[in-house]
Amino acid sequence: MNVDNRRGELGELKSQLRQLAGSRAPGAEDLKRELFKKVTSYMTVGIDVSALFSEMIMCASNADIVLKKMCYLYLGNYAATNPELALLTINFLQKDCQDENPMIRGLALRSLCSLRVPNLVEYFTGPIKQGLKDANPYVRSVAAMGVLKLHHISPASVKDNEFQKTLKVLVIQDPDAQILYMGRVRSRDRTLGTASATAKRMKEFSEWAQCLVLELVSKYVPAHANETFDIMNVLEDRLVHANSAVVLATCKVFLHLTMSMADVHQQVYERIKSPLVTLITTGTSELAYAVLSHLHMLILRSPTLFVSDYKFFYCRYSDPSYVKKLKLEILTAIANESNTYEIVTELSEYATNVDVPIARESIRAVGRIALRRYDINGIVDRLLQFLEMDTDYVTAETLVRLEMLTACIKLFFKRPPQCQSMLGAALKAGIHDSHQDVHDRALLYYRLLQEGVGLAEKVINPKKQAVADFAESQSSEIKDRIFDEFNTLAVVYQKPSYMFLNKELVGNTESESLMGERELSSPSAHDGFLHQSEFSDNDMLLSASEKEDTRLISTGNGADAYSAPEISILDVAPAVSSSLLLEAPATVASQPKPAGTHQREMPLLPEFETPVPSSRQATPPLASQAVPMDDLFSGLSVPDTAAAAPAPPPQQLVLAPRPSLDAKAFQQKWGQLSVALTVEEKLAPTGIMKLATPQPLNVHMIDRHIFCMASGGKPPNFKYFFYAQSQPNFLDPSAQAGFFLVELHVDTARAMASGKIKADDVSLAPAFAELFRVALARFGLL
Amino acid sequence: MPVAASAIYFLNLRGDVLINRMYRDDVGGNMVDAFRTHIMQTKDLGTCPVRQMGSCSFLYMRISNVYIVIVVSSNANAACAFKFIVEAVALFRSYFGGSFDEDSIRNNFVLIYELLDEIMDFGYPQNLSPEILKLYITQVGVRSPFSQVKDARPPANATLQVTGAVGWRREGLVYKKNEVFLDIVESVNLLMSQKGNVLRCDVTGKILMKCFLSGMPELKLGLNDKLGLEKEAQVRARPPRSGKTIELDDVTFHQCVNLGRFNTEKTVSFVPPDGEFELMKYRITEGINFPFRVIPIIKELGRTRMEVNIKVKSVFGAKMFALGVVVKIPVPKHTAKTTFQVSSGRAKYNASIDSLVWKIRRFPGQTELSMSAEVELISSIAEKKTWSRPPIQMEFQVPMFTASGLRVRFLKVWEKSGYSTVEWVRYITRAGTYEVRC
Repeated sequence: MNVDNRRGELGELKSQLRQLAGSRAPGAEDLKRELFKKVTSYMTVGIDVSALFSEMIMCASNADIVLKKMCYLYLGNYAATNPELALLTINFLQKDCQDENPMIRGLALRSLCSLRVPNLVEYFTGPIKQGLKDANPYVRSVAAMGVLKLHHISPASVKDNEFQKTLKVLVIQDPDAQILYMGRVRSRDRTLGTASATAKRMKEFSEWAQCLVLELVSKYVPAHANETFDIMNVLEDRLVHANSAVVLATCKVFLHLTMSMADVHQQVYERIKSPLVTLITTGTSELAYAVLSHLHMLILRSPTLFVSDYKFFYCRYSDPSYVKKLKLEILTAIANESNTYEIVTELSEYATNVDVPIARESIRAVGRIALRRYDINGIVDRLLQFLEMDTDYVTAETLVRLEMLTACIKLFFKRPPQCQSMLGAALKAGIHDSHQDVHDRALLYYRLLQEGVGLAEKVINPKKQAVADFAESQSSEIKDRIFDEFNTLAVVYQKPSYMFLNKELVGNTESESLMGERELSSPSAHDGFLHQSEFSDNDMLLSASEKEDTRLISTGNGADAYSAPEISILDVAPAVSSSLLLEAPATVASQPKPAGTHQREMPLLPEFETPVPSSRQATPPLASQAVPMDDLFSGLSVPDTAAAAPAPPPQQLVLAPRPSLDAKAFQQKWGQLSVALTVEEKLAPTGIMKLATPQPLNVHMIDRHIFCMASGGKPPNFKYFFYAQSQPNFLDPSAQAGFFLVELHVDTARAMASGKIKADDVSLAPAFAELFRVALARFGLL
Repeated sequence: MPVAASAIYFLNLRGDVLINRMYRDDVGGNMVDAFRTHIMQTKDLGTCPVRQMGSCSFLYMRISNVYIVIVVSSNANAACAFKFIVEAVALFRSYFGGSFDEDSIRNNFVLIYELLDEIMDFGYPQNLSPEILKLYITQVGVRSPFSQVKDARPPANATLQVTGAVGWRREGLVYKKNEVFLDIVESVNLLMSQKGNVLRCDVTGKILMKCFLSGMPELKLGLNDKLGLEKEAQVRARPPRSGKTIELDDVTFHQCVNLGRFNTEKTVSFVPPDGEFELMKYRITEGINFPFRVIPIIKELGRTRMEVNIKVKSVFGAKMFALGVVVKIPVPKHTAKTTFQVSSGRAKYNASIDSLVWKIRRFPGQTELSMSAEVELISSIAEKKTWSRPPIQMEFQVPMFTASGLRVRFLKVWEKSGYSTVEWVRYITRAGTYEVRC
């Protein structure tokens, strides 16, 4: 009955619209509007009103802009689902593209391009072409956007129509430099332009366009340090912009530009600290959540950053729980000698003050802090005080009691003498507890302990779990990947984008990502242009783009669905990418293609197999003096850069994923072989921070097929024995798969690392040393 | 990569779609159902504003009784997306006369579609400045009848406007009386321990302006902040004036402010948008005079009685006064009966928020007021679960007082026609999250 009703209504609407279509009666326009409104509201609710298609078009064909807008919305909604109807509209829209009113021209063109029907693409190109030449800037900007949309549906047609070239010419000649999309198109030559030009132009963009442009700048690799500073100086004022998105985008630029300069990088952390904190305190809680995620990541990278400013992360009672949870994690991460007492005290407040999940979380956080700093006596003592002090409320809340019991016993495993009495008290209280769960657990622990402390520890505190929550345990490779994707969802989810983006989807947009990739590679290829004046810059580009058009096709299909950097760049802005198409330089660095299987296993491997960009080749890879750090990093820290380096790999050394070598054989070999190489390196402070325990480095090295035989030592001296085996060569199976042995000695006090490398095949030793050094650099040690 | 939103949905609390706008075809139309069943109808709703489902991510915000959901299929920029929502809502409010809820959306859906069309294209945010959008948008808010709408202004002009050098202001404005209103609004955030130690205290302030100025005026604002004063002293080669200077921890400005000049000269100069806008925001952590001290004594006498004694002392100047002071003292859920004694104002028990609420309409400076209450509790099984003692919260407004001590030193207006302007400056300090643990 309901359905009948609706059908009746639709029929009525249909006849009314038909009547009105040709009517010139006074008031007909108003009636039409009312009817269109009704149709729009039906559409929103989800009622299918596609039956009215022809009537809608009839009514709107001679209407004013108000009606047309509603009609365009209607068309946009139904065209994609009913392609056969869309054909009907094409004429209508194409006619409107000729309208004398530029608003209507623009709107019609936008709707036309938004139809998203692949088989109609041929109809779009004409109007777009026209639009690009339109006298009105509004229409031109819509047309520029249209090129992008067209590219999304059918990249080939963009190319066929040489839109890139047209756009390009437009960009240079258009007197109205402020048109938003023109602006975006320009961003490409901005990247190439001088730093001062950057500043001037930045202000011409709207705040949202600035985000896009900044995103691009962050991918840019300056020619030398001075340029980096120039860019940073002119962009510094963006940090006080009211739009939080601009601020975050600027942070990204700063962080990425300074990747190769450890000390400046640290200064950047200090500089962006304050604006980010402001965003937390002043924005909505959702925004705070996004920003906190970024801070969390930054803190994991540089734990000392907020050591004295930990109070910013105290929870407010009114904070939503997702914000509180992140704040707890951050507090845990920044706890160190100087602030543990205060932080733990604050955390203990949460244990009683807020909702149950957060209470549990905070007790857990206390446990984590305790475990992490177990080597520092004073902290444990204070912690014990705190635990004892709270014993009576421990017995108050079931969940807390359970957690407390676990925390106690875990502490006991770490520091038996100090904790014994406390554990006794806790177990006693637990066993006498009225609550069944607490009673049972206390009894369980008690009996386990009776069986033997070692066994109890195995059950309650298995090794794996204890380390599972460590910040360091998350492979630093993944962390780096996330860092590369600063200011995206990757940071919020704490995993790189390839882990959560749909693979098929990535495939669909592959071509777009390719263009992004080209963008990446271009700056370095274009270094020569940097010194040109801005005007000649443009000319160069123009000629470059023409040459480039011919090359465009050949670069296809290199993108692997797994290689995340490309994905991220894709999203830099397809808007930009449309422009890049035309402006991409003549010399497109062909991306070295690593073996497919490896690529899948370890997304970052390509850099290790094909490391050495030309600048590094110049440096003797194994000179005993320290290699200039900038050089080392310029090729390594940013995977993008590595991809951009066109230099062919100097040697092909691939390490076996699972070498077999037992301790005895290791010792034997170590005795037999003589030292092939010695290496000495200065350590970076960030890396030293992570060396409090040996596991993180070991885990990190395993990811690179370098395995730890043994490690040990006390701060500040650590010693590691590593081994690795070269992958048997496919081309020459007879060749012996040789082993590499390393003794690495790290002195954190002097910030020096020295290594001795021994190898079965001495000729391969330099290559291995290079891999080893890269692996260390990745970990942040160098 | 700002947002690249694939779609935007407006939903009411039941999950009905109020507005949907697709920007890209890479997500299915049924995404909204997924959001409804997997997020809205589960307990997880409030747990995280960013949720991933399949290859899509949902970024959502609740504003009054409406959910705004952005669906993205790419690795989008979350901060930018939320910022976009906030800005968009502000824009809608400016059209709807301040309100933004289910009703105003239902009444204005055509307008919203029209706005969504202009503020985002292909998933990328566009110009969101209300002033400029008014030139494009043919609809008006529901306050006036639909049929009266006419796009009177020539649109050709509108398009030029957007691309003009000053994107936030129209040319050719004329006012009979040129006036500027400037409000400094500060929120004090305080967290005090039971013993009266300040655990955290900061001020987030904003400077709001309302400009009714003809032509294209250029304004310059001077504050008593440390950097600005030092720079001025440097330029004029004379020692800085005595008196309080304020150190701003961090500042953000409206896009109209010339940031280059702020960096070099430390002065705030700008061509203001017409009408109301937020000129700048700042944050201060040092040297804050928080206006109220709270001394709570809460005793639990046995299992069924509680005694609450609260002293509140105003520590701002004696000539000033605070308005609308509210002190909320949380009590356990099973409160049965309360009796009060207050030295001023009114107190009562509000069961819906489980708090004693003490209201003082006007609170003079340098005075101490107190309230004592006896609370009787029902003894029940629920009482076994201990009461977590949430903090005492306070609300207030203190006119003509800034907790940071920030003051406007001058506000200059230049316009080529050289008219004279009237400037009005007000100060007010409000409670942000003003919490005292008990």
